[in-house]
Amino acid sequence: MKPSMPELAWLFIFIGLTSFGGGISAYIRRLVVTQKRWLTDEEFLPGLGLVQLLPGANVAGLAVYIGNHLKGPLGSAVALFCLFVPPFVTTCALGFLYFHAGHTADASAVLMGVTAAACGLMASMVFEAGGKSIKGAFDIILIVLTFALVRFAHLHVPIVILIVAPLALWWHRPRRSEENPPKDSPAP
Amino acid sequence: MNRILLQLAGLFSALSLSAFGGGKVVLPSMHQAAVGEYGWMTSQQFVDLFSISMAAPGPSMMVVTLVGLKACMPYGTAAAILGALVATLAMFVPSSVLVYFAGNWWDHWKESPWRHAVMDAIMPISTGLILAATWIIAKTSIHSVPTAILGVVALLLMLFTKINPVLMMAGAGAISWMFLR
Repeated sequence: MKPSMPELAWLFIFIGLTSFGGGISAYIRRLVVTQKRWLTDEEFLPGLGLVQLLPGANVAGLAVYIGNHLKGPLGSAVALFCLFVPPFVTTCALGFLYFHAGHTADASAVLMGVTAAACGLMASMVFEAGGKSIKGAFDIILIVLTFALVRFAHLHVPIVILIVAPLALWWHRPRRSEENPPKDSPAP
Repeated sequence: MNRILLQLAGLFSALSLSAFGGGKVVLPSMHQAAVGEYGWMTSQQFVDLFSISMAAPGPSMMVVTLVGLKACMPYGTAAAILGALVATLAMFVPSSVLVYFAGNWWDHWKESPWRHAVMDAIMPISTGLILAATWIIAKTSIHSVPTAILGVVALLLMLFTKINPVLMMAGAGAISWMFLR
């Protein structure tokens, strides 16, 4: 069952306003696949795989993929636009509030707790990503190398990726001869 | 002013196309550019803005909006909003265009063994970058025993419970307001 354009727009306005922090991919799947039944898992999951493989915020990529799947190029643009407009407005408002009142004792005290908690949240993502990525000792070397290039060599992220990605791709290249000959890898 | 808008557009479109594993992996570069190279804000302000963006509704990388806002703030309110808009578009449009076009030939190499190889190769790099981002946040946000305890409790809650991260951050803010003022 395919939605109309206003239904698509409204869903992404809703997602933009009700999604916080991490785990948005699972949240979108629940809305689009489980509740609305606009897409099946067979349609949704390849899109999720695609946006995880490509650079950029996963949620923006999913909006583009879902919008295109349901309503074509215009659907992509509408989904992306609706996803970002409400959070953009609230984020700007919070930004002005911070720069006008953020230095008061009350605001500083609240922010001190929020930043410490945000740090814990980020650290939990290290554990989650680490758990999924460490398949052998070489993966630990890749993690440490990436970290060191950013932290100690102060290289920018694109440069670090250009250095580490060939090494990582070479290590994880398909080993067994598969039935299909390997095609070109997507540009990392 | 125009120079800053160009800097924002250049910086964030480059980071948009390098954010393998999601927006947070480019946080170290964003910090380095905004605090170091361009001097738009202090490290404390950057970490505050990052935390605000995590606690606010919307995709988690809305911190780019706030970086654009602050970079252009010296030129007035309208300029600040324009800066926020340029930064947001630069961060989210290039990668979205890539997804749109890649989606059209995705089916052709869906079966390729390289798909898993690329995924396996990206994951450790993302992990290293998220670790570097966490390091930057920690250096500024964890500066005393109480903040260290808050950070560790937050980490444990995220790892071992299903608590909503925003609720967790709001709780930490409330506790900090009550006891650490």
